[in-house]
Amino acid sequence: MKTNAKAMGLGCCPCCHKVVKMQAETQQCPRCHRSFSVRKINSLSHTFAWTIAALVMLVPANLYPMMIYYTLGQPEASTILEGIATFIQFGMYPVAIVIFIASFVVPLAKIIGLFILMYHAKRASKLTVKQQGQLYHIVEFLGPWSMLDVFVVAIMAAVVNLGFLSSIEAAKGITYFGLMVVFTMLAAESFDARLLWDAQDQKPKTDDSQSQLNEAKSR
Amino acid sequence: MAKPAASLNNIVVCRRCDAVLSKPKIEPGQKATCPGCSALLYELKKNPMERTMAVSLAGLLLFFPAILLPMIGVSAAGTHNEASLIDCIIILLNTDYHIVAFIVFLFTIAIPIVHLLAAFYIAVAVHFNKISQSLLVFFRSYHVLDSWTMLHVFFLGVVVSIYKIVDLAELTVGGGLMSFVLLLICSTLVSVTLDHHYVWEKMEQALED
Repeated sequence: MKTNAKAMGLGCCPCCHKVVKMQAETQQCPRCHRSFSVRKINSLSHTFAWTIAALVMLVPANLYPMMIYYTLGQPEASTILEGIATFIQFGMYPVAIVIFIASFVVPLAKIIGLFILMYHAKRASKLTVKQQGQLYHIVEFLGPWSMLDVFVVAIMAAVVNLGFLSSIEAAKGITYFGLMVVFTMLAAESFDARLLWDAQDQKPKTDDSQSQLNEAKSR
Repeated sequence: MAKPAASLNNIVVCRRCDAVLSKPKIEPGQKATCPGCSALLYELKKNPMERTMAVSLAGLLLFFPAILLPMIGVSAAGTHNEASLIDCIIILLNTDYHIVAFIVFLFTIAIPIVHLLAAFYIAVAVHFNKISQSLLVFFRSYHVLDSWTMLHVFFLGVVVSIYKIVDLAELTVGGGLMSFVLLLICSTLVSVTLDHHYVWEKMEQALED
């Protein structure tokens, strides 16, 4: 069996990566003085809570308009998907693809990815543990990039401000979208990837005990 | 099972999969990765402190023009308007989007500035061997803030906005955008040059005496 720090009674400081012998459930790192435990405490419940919060925010973020565009005093509100549709109409495919991926596919994929990870931290699965680790890495990496839409609206609202002629204002949806991105980032942060490997290590044991039980029954 | 404390310095634990590995010997400029899950274990960098000092100081100086000078502007039918990073936040505040204004301020100004300041202070202190307990707080906060800086995302936001505006009206590019690009390069270089492993080892040695 692969050597695992938890099984050896060792812990690795999440901040400075010093390897320490764990004397208590939670202890202070002798090098950087940060208190930590072998696994993030209540990691799964925290991740679950933040993911649910993000999922709740995803609905108003897509239903409410992101920004209102005034031309000659005429307001025109557009949601994320409507905005993308406009780009496609004008034939601006590269921007349409960037925005579609950054503000629709990625947030949804992150939330689904987090649910998959939480499911696999509980039980072993078809995906190899290395693939799960990569999935976590992707979810973590994508975190800040979803903020793109919030920044675009902030810049557009400040720059396109030509009075009556044309101006852009932020709209309700942007608040929910921003909060959703922050919540998914917090969810990824509170998830402890090592739980995936713990679940993997437990799997062969339970299989063995079950096969032993079956053998006992057959006898 | 119980090992003497000295041998703990010769092993390294992977943060992603929790595997215990013997510490590989690497030269400056090389990286050590976990054989199980291919996560980065640690790396040694060349002249980490001098480079970090230079790059973070440049970044801090660039912060002022990057925030205050106008980034992009539009003009159509005789009217002209341009906006800087700080204008974006002020307009969001004026239109009562306090949460969004706070998010933009936090991720594009507050966190990057603290991040750069922490890197600069650490580099100076470690280089001149003036290590004190307060440095621990700075380096810990540097680690926490590492994943929350969004200058690169804001830059992509500027690019997308330019693409959108070009269609609507005439576009002008201000000095703010130039400074912002340079700031982005500096802040990226800081995370490339700052050697965590080196700093922690130095601090451990200094604070033990």
